[in-house]
Amino acid sequence: MRSDERGSVLALMPAAVLIFVVLGALAVDASMSFLAERQVSNLAASVANDAATQGVDVLHYYATGEIVIDPARVREVADAAVARSGLGHLDDITIETDVVGVDVVVVRVHAVTRSMFSRVLPEGLEERTVAASAEASAERG
Amino acid sequence: MRRLRDERGFVGGFEVLPFGLLVFVAGTLLLTNVWAVIDGTLAASAAAREAARAYAEAPTAADAERAAVDAALAAVDGHGRDRSRATVRWDLGPTFERCAPNTVVVEYRVPTLTVPFVGAFGGGVITTSGRHTEVVDPYRTGLAIDDFDPETCRA
Repeated sequence: MRSDERGSVLALMPAAVLIFVVLGALAVDASMSFLAERQVSNLAASVANDAATQGVDVLHYYATGEIVIDPARVREVADAAVARSGLGHLDDITIETDVVGVDVVVVRVHAVTRSMFSRVLPEGLEERTVAASAEASAERG
Repeated sequence: MRRLRDERGFVGGFEVLPFGLLVFVAGTLLLTNVWAVIDGTLAASAAAREAARAYAEAPTAADAERAAVDAALAAVDGHGRDRSRATVRWDLGPTFERCAPNTVVVEYRVPTLTVPFVGAFGGGVITTSGRHTEVVDPYRTGLAIDDFDPETCRA
């Protein structure tokens, strides 16, 4: 080892610490995104489950015995679920509902989660869109 | 004055070592704290979902609350967290009736470490929470059907 390389670790130490802190911050932000994905997934599953039952067109069922889901009612259920979801820390929550066939509800939820640390990085990932979908069908029990 | 060659620059870089070490320790503890809070929130969120589902699917009203609390604590256990730090409560409900929304809130108290230069966050404990809402199925079995009008679900 050349004598003029002695002490070079001193210069590497701050860089190593900086790298450690940055990686740790990214790990925390990734975890927060994962948490947001779980919450959005839970919301989608809950809305699909509620919509598949509350969305049943009762008058049609009484008249024909056939289960048909009313898309307008599904929309109402979805909007009510978002309103009481308590996901105020997520931005731009959008929910799409679709009735496939006559008795299957498909719900897609999108939301934006903001990072805690990554925003301070150059070209930081200030926000990330998370999405989830769920499907439920109404069946005669 | 004669100096040893390999001591040159020592003063100009030596202070980095303790500073870097302190930042390393403080940064590690800070990230550990943040991670613990996020992990606690994940556990609380999962517990709230399990509790709300268990409540809505319980066979009878008498069993519903017990089933919800048991499900929440089992979820906390499943996340490897301490169930004695968890509490379960209802923001909406508990109402075991058709179409009734029930919002279960699970709070989990996360103990925090003391970070050098920063101190302990939240007095040593940070309370995280998760919440989930489930609506009791309007057409499920096991509930009275007298005077039930599906239109009330729109309210």
